[in-house]
Amino acid sequence: MALFGSSRDVSMLRKVNRELLGDIMSQQCVLYKVNLEKTVSNIYGESTGYRYYTEPTILYCRITRTDPTFNNTDIGRDYSRTMTFSFLRDDLVDASVYPELGDIIMYQEGYFEVEQSYDNQLFVGKDPDYPYATNPLNPGLENFGYSVSINCIAHYIPADKVNLTKERP
Amino acid sequence: MNIPIYPGSSSFFPGNTPFGFYDNDYDFQVDADKVATFCARRLGYPIMEVELQDINFYAAFEEAITTYGNELYAFQLRDNLLNVINTPTSSNLSTALITPSLANIIRMSQQYGVEAGVGGNVTWYSGSFTTTASIQDYDLGDWAISQSISGGIEIKRIFHYGPPAVTRFYDPYAGTGLGTQNLMDSFGFGAYSPSVNFVLMPVNYDIQVIQAIEFNDTVRKSAYSFELINNKLKIFPIPDQSGVNIYFQYIKLQDRLDSIVNTGSAAVITNPSNAGYQNPVYSRINSIGRQWIFEYTLSLCKEILGYVRGKYTQVPIPGAEVTLNQSDLISAATAEKTALLERLRTFLDETSNQKMLERKQAETVARQSELGQAPMTIFIG
Repeated sequence: MALFGSSRDVSMLRKVNRELLGDIMSQQCVLYKVNLEKTVSNIYGESTGYRYYTEPTILYCRITRTDPTFNNTDIGRDYSRTMTFSFLRDDLVDASVYPELGDIIMYQEGYFEVEQSYDNQLFVGKDPDYPYATNPLNPGLENFGYSVSINCIAHYIPADKVNLTKERP
Repeated sequence: MNIPIYPGSSSFFPGNTPFGFYDNDYDFQVDADKVATFCARRLGYPIMEVELQDINFYAAFEEAITTYGNELYAFQLRDNLLNVINTPTSSNLSTALITPSLANIIRMSQQYGVEAGVGGNVTWYSGSFTTTASIQDYDLGDWAISQSISGGIEIKRIFHYGPPAVTRFYDPYAGTGLGTQNLMDSFGFGAYSPSVNFVLMPVNYDIQVIQAIEFNDTVRKSAYSFELINNKLKIFPIPDQSGVNIYFQYIKLQDRLDSIVNTGSAAVITNPSNAGYQNPVYSRINSIGRQWIFEYTLSLCKEILGYVRGKYTQVPIPGAEVTLNQSDLISAATAEKTALLERLRTFLDETSNQKMLERKQAETVARQSELGQAPMTIFIG
């Protein structure tokens, strides 16, 4: 059995995180999951028409913003911006959502399409979902460790491409 | 697992404290939840979460009361240990009014009485041996063995003196009694026994006669004396006859050692650990003491919270790590606890018997000085 990072410790960390995200940082975004049942796709998995989304979910998160870039092209000025949305994994579990490639995150009236989604932040280096508990020399590892967050790297996408609201093309 | 933290209110039940010293005290039951609220609010609740539970507050509250009692009774014990030693351990000193006594000071002084031969707790025995003509040295250690005394003896007194001068006061051959004889002759009583003096003489005359006899013995005769080293007695002058008893007093060395440790069967207070002090009764602690307890409870809670938040120096949050305020909490708690204890000890020291007497004396001096400022009137009868 491990010594550090028990579920009791994790409970305290979870509370601190929720207090920090909810009461102190208070950054929110809205997650739109792609409705795969309604969205028609081609043989490559690309949507062939409109994309449909599930009901939005408001989530607390920690947002790492980058400065927008403006590129002048032959057809005008192009606006791009990359954001990183870091969610508390427990919040996502409670909301039964998981941001994936192609999902849309709305932040301050702007839409960002998820291009990468990953979890790579393990408290004390352990993930209780992978305890390998069959090891008789070190049982009970399912009660230790904590996968803290889900990080999503998303890029700006114009509102008229998302089709969530009526926008002028 | 979801460990709940303080939700903003609590409800104390007996058994919620680690030791349960005060659980059944109604005042404690009432104050426990108030103290929890007080501490939580002082720690930032409800603006901030306090990662403690009600039982943490109760444990700190109980410890604060016990600490207060320890400080109080340790002070009382310091002030009264000399008085309460050798009293029954069954006495509850926490609420007892202690009246000072010299009993233990006398007990402690008995050792001096033993050596001075004026009391004490070691028996002085008497012994004697018989002189042998021309033999000056006698081993009293051997004498003790012959008397089956184990552990050795220590000679306290040797009765080896010349005859008192007063026994020869009327001796016409003492060399100094002639004055008396001459005086009697001059009054026509020369035929009478010199042992009877019918003439009233001043005391100073008698004293001078005695001194003359002693001085005569010192100058003209071998002095009565002795030397005692390691129980080897050398007597002076060299005995000129056998069969003379020389008496002495001694103690048994084992008796002196036995007097050190008293292992009586009665359970009596012998040291601070078995003095009959118990935990204080919370309901009897006044507001001064309770306020100290509340503040100390807060410091303890601060310390607990510091350790909770500081078990892991870096707390992971999504995509980053933060450091909580554990070091501030612990350092503040440590400083506050130290300051509270020093404040309490200073206050208690000011109420010691010695300090109170000193203050009373100072008040008396000051009062007399103040009264001395009043003008002295001239009495006209």
